[in-house]
Amino acid sequence: MVVAYVMVKAASGDADRIRGAIRELDGVVEAHIVAGDMDFVVKVDVDEPADVKRVAADGIQDIAGVEDTRTYIAMG
Amino acid sequence: MRFIVIGSGRVGLRTARVLREEGHDVTIVERDADRADRASADGFSVVEGDGSHEDVLAKAAVDRADAVGALTGDLNTNFAACMIAKHHGCRTVMRIDEDYREEIYQKYADEVDEIIYPERLGAIGAKNALLGGNIRAIADIAEHLQVLLFTITERSPMRGYTLSEVELPANARLLAFGKRGESMGIPLPDNSLELGDRVAVLADFGVLDDVRQLLVGDDAGETLASAASAGGDA
Repeated sequence: MVVAYVMVKAASGDADRIRGAIRELDGVVEAHIVAGDMDFVVKVDVDEPADVKRVAADGIQDIAGVEDTRTYIAMG
Repeated sequence: MRFIVIGSGRVGLRTARVLREEGHDVTIVERDADRADRASADGFSVVEGDGSHEDVLAKAAVDRADAVGALTGDLNTNFAACMIAKHHGCRTVMRIDEDYREEIYQKYADEVDEIIYPERLGAIGAKNALLGGNIRAIADIAEHLQVLLFTITERSPMRGYTLSEVELPANARLLAFGKRGESMGIPLPDNSLELGDRVAVLADFGVLDDVRQLLVGDDAGETLASAASAGGDA
């Protein structure tokens, strides 16, 4: 099992819709709107490291209104 | 009133100065030593430290402040400062760095009473300056409600009349009046409208044209259209 945290920066104020779209992705277990220079923190729990890329790069980045993501894989 | 301004950069320092000019008690919180020194030299009471830390805000007497302006360029600092200030019962104003975030903070950040996006205000000002003319959009109050500043021209139908004689449409209110070259003040019924005097009016978009015809005359249609859209697309 691989757990990762993805910080998501939006380019749209439509936070509800973006959070909803993130939560629908396979592998996403939590998604929160946060204050600060990133707009969402997303917890991903998947089988393989490659799946992290699938969720972050393909899934989240493809949502309209998402500008950038940073992914941190949990080590301990 | 007592205010704390966090961040003495281009937005914070200017805000602090305006508040001081109006007779308010302002304390600046600034993390950078050079900037803190500059604000001190400018005569402000300054607490040097990180405004997102409760002990720093305590030194600035947050428990006695009426409102806190979190005006640094750092969103995390600003939000943390608002959380602390709200906890101490202050009104909170937070500066944001990108316009889309206004919607997010309005909806989710209960700790933040007002959001400031300086670039948006600057853009409205720049657009007004570029347009020139005798109508300026001052603020969007609601989607269809705007405050406009009209300058009385040679052609103004109301020139020579007093304010009590100005009959604005039902969806418009006279807010302030200023003689030419003087500052704006509360409008009085016997103020007379002369060339160069200014009138601030709160008006619904539906009656903007009527207000414009009454105060400025007929030849300002294009200026009005541009001024009216200044807030929305700035």
